[in-house]
Amino acid sequence: MITNPVPNPAAVARQWFLAHSDLDDLIQALRKAGRIVIGPTVRDGAIVNDEIQSAADLPAGVRDEQTAGRYRLAERSDERVFGYTVGPTPWKRFTFPPILPIATAHVSGSFGFEQPKIVAPQLAFLGVRACEIAALGMQDRVFLGSPFTDEDFRARRKAALIVAVQCTTCSSTCFCSSMGTGPEVRGGYDILLTEIDEGFVVQAGSPAGAAIVAHLPTRRPTHAETGAAVDVVEAVRTQIGEPLPIAGIDQRLKRQLDNPRWSVVAERCVECGNCTMSCPTCFCTSVTERSDMEGRTSVTERQWDSCFDVNFARVAGGDFRARPRDRYRQWLTHKFSTWMDQFGSFGCVGCGRCITWCPVQIDVREELQAIAPVIQPIERPVAVEPVAASPGRYSLARLASVKEETEDTTTLSLTDLDPAFLGGRPGQFVMVALPAFPAVPISISRFRSNGNDLTIRAVGPTSTALVNLHPGAKVGVRGPLGTFWPIEDAYGRHAVVVAGGVGLSPLHGLVEALVANRDRFESVSLYYGSRTPEDQLFRDDLVAWSAGKSIDVAVTVDRAGPEWKGRVGVVTTLFDMMSCDCSRITAFVVGPERMMQASVQSLISKGVPPERINVSMERHMECGIGLCGHCQTGPYFVCKDGPVFRLSELGDLYVREGI
Amino acid sequence: MASTGKAVRPRVAVAKFASCDGCQLTLLDLEDKLLEIVTRFDIVEFPEATSRHSPGPYDVVFVEGSISAPEHLDQIKALRKQARVLVTIGACATAGGIQAMRNWADHDAYRAAIYEHPEWVESLAMATAVSDHVKVDAELRGCPIDGGQLLELLTSVLVGRRPQIREEVVCRECKRKGIVCIVVASGEACMGPVTSSGCNALCPTYGRGCYGCFGPRIGANAKSWSAGLMRSGRPPEEVWRLFAGFTGYAEPFRSVLTELGKAKG
Repeated sequence: MITNPVPNPAAVARQWFLAHSDLDDLIQALRKAGRIVIGPTVRDGAIVNDEIQSAADLPAGVRDEQTAGRYRLAERSDERVFGYTVGPTPWKRFTFPPILPIATAHVSGSFGFEQPKIVAPQLAFLGVRACEIAALGMQDRVFLGSPFTDEDFRARRKAALIVAVQCTTCSSTCFCSSMGTGPEVRGGYDILLTEIDEGFVVQAGSPAGAAIVAHLPTRRPTHAETGAAVDVVEAVRTQIGEPLPIAGIDQRLKRQLDNPRWSVVAERCVECGNCTMSCPTCFCTSVTERSDMEGRTSVTERQWDSCFDVNFARVAGGDFRARPRDRYRQWLTHKFSTWMDQFGSFGCVGCGRCITWCPVQIDVREELQAIAPVIQPIERPVAVEPVAASPGRYSLARLASVKEETEDTTTLSLTDLDPAFLGGRPGQFVMVALPAFPAVPISISRFRSNGNDLTIRAVGPTSTALVNLHPGAKVGVRGPLGTFWPIEDAYGRHAVVVAGGVGLSPLHGLVEALVANRDRFESVSLYYGSRTPEDQLFRDDLVAWSAGKSIDVAVTVDRAGPEWKGRVGVVTTLFDMMSCDCSRITAFVVGPERMMQASVQSLISKGVPPERINVSMERHMECGIGLCGHCQTGPYFVCKDGPVFRLSELGDLYVREGI
Repeated sequence: MASTGKAVRPRVAVAKFASCDGCQLTLLDLEDKLLEIVTRFDIVEFPEATSRHSPGPYDVVFVEGSISAPEHLDQIKALRKQARVLVTIGACATAGGIQAMRNWADHDAYRAAIYEHPEWVESLAMATAVSDHVKVDAELRGCPIDGGQLLELLTSVLVGRRPQIREEVVCRECKRKGIVCIVVASGEACMGPVTSSGCNALCPTYGRGCYGCFGPRIGANAKSWSAGLMRSGRPPEEVWRLFAGFTGYAEPFRSVLTELGKAKG
């Protein structure tokens, strides 16, 4: 027969109930145990952590309102004592004092240095939140986690009994949920209180905590009470949400050391260091010597300092972080990147103090998202439900006509298509297959009322077989697939189309749409470069667009014979013809990879916003619908998240080799 | 007492230009240290304490007040020649003081508005810091200066070390003291974020915004702070008064005031 072991009350998560009216018994029990109780109390318009004598000192019925750079107290509609979030006082104040004498020296004859005796008062911290417990743990790793330790911290930390409190409310500045530190208290406490309407659900997390709880007039909680204690914290989690996308931020920041945003935020930052002083994990200090007038007795004092101080990284010859942006970058990258390398966690717990107490309202969450944004696929509307959009399935189409564009490039006009193909949008592509040939992705170069044109360069077996077909032949098609040119982004702006070689094919339908809706755009320009005059696609259309005068057409070639009277040079050499305000350009760019890189760089340097530069990416595609995995680029499946992207979506993936 | 010490006592002079004598009083206010100070220093000139005069040279000269009248121009140069170490004390000597507010105004109009016989008053159109005229070896800031910093400076002269006077932002002292930020929690106008420390955050400790009397700290982002004060709803006139108060003629406060002056039109 198996008998259940008798549970040790201190070891299991046993719960008690303590009435609101009996909370003072807890404070007095802590005091009787010889502890000074540090708890929340209202002083100077804030809920600070300071010595309290009784429950009367607690902020009953008071809540806090916090936004960037602003903190105000307000009345609650009830008499809860922990119905606020975190105030200006980090608990490090009591484990890592702001000013601490660390050595004295006496000169009489010879001299010696003495360390003061460590005196760590027996304290009880009342009202410690989940994020703050995490912060104490981070300072444990900083001060005690290496062979070189801070023994004063160790003594103070050991002498402090933690009475934690579950958060039952949150502020706009809270982001513990993103940092993984809260809102639930999961450990690191001696006693845990969860405040519900009638009182507190109490748990002990250590023998010391259990010994205190044993002195309290508790009873067993009802199921309703324990249920309410769980629900109230769950509600806070929902309320906070996920304010900061944190995954991978440590690595993302390392790639952004030269981001221009550092200078922008540094212009606003006044370097008061309030963020670092109110931060519960910041640990930097400086020492000052004080002596009597003869220098016979001197005291070395350690003081909280800040990496924002202009002298913090100074040496005799100069300053290693001389510019404000250097100092802001040091702080932010330490908290969210290099702290991880040093101590295995972020240096931020998401308490939001650095946001609330910043007098110029800098919100670290905004800065992080601006400096090291998560690259997330942008949901685009589906132009039209594609046909046969599963591997191996094809819809049949008939070849109406064949037109040779250049020596190696041919336009096939498809007809008898499923009507869905006619609803596609410029920029989309189809997967085209012939029996015994693997399917290939081909851009739709023209949308006709009764069919689509595909302009194909013979580069492989399938494309060669396709360009050799005769009218009347049948092909298998799936589509239309992928994203399309956001033509609406150019409404009221200068539409600039930049094409290189066969890249004009996916842009051809776009140019036709721009021409057809010419009134909607400030101007429309096409810059087209090809290897030779003979390699130009759609020569009839180029002539017609040029003659129509409604759009500007500029062409160039890499090399040409003497009969060529036009420009020679890469396509970017045409950009000096842009005379408009470049910030009002919406660009559409397709061509060989290097030509696109050069074009994009040139457009950015002229001031075209990255979110207004659209590119179509070429990648190896076999399925065209995000299942085969060939086309993956960073977070994207180019076939279904692209091929058309805004440059801002691609970020530094765009000009990076080997991705 | 300490007769052997007297033989090597550094000769100290205190001099004043345009000022209220409050900084000199700070020295007299070091009551429990005064005996020790006069034991270790030979104070030979001190207009606030004695009418005794003694010619230079001096080991240390403390200079109070701004250069504000025509005769000051020669006097400060002569004093410099007599001083091994010249220390300016207070907002007037280090930044021009409140009298430098006239630097943005019509000097003759001011004089005419106040004095019955303005022609009898000889003053310069601008009140300027001592460092605009002669080399200064050390500065003690504030209106008035901090007694602790003064004592530290005297101590450093005796010990022969660099004064342990941290030049940091008022906010740092404020936070170490555990003062609740009055800007964030009460919406007070405070010059703390751009002002040099040394006062142990005296005004914020009593719920008042910092007046900036210690002057701009190194690297003060006065431009952002003036914008921040206006963002919180303060008109440019009020922000002008905050920056102009005690040390407005010191950069970068001066540039902000010039800019605000333009904004006011």
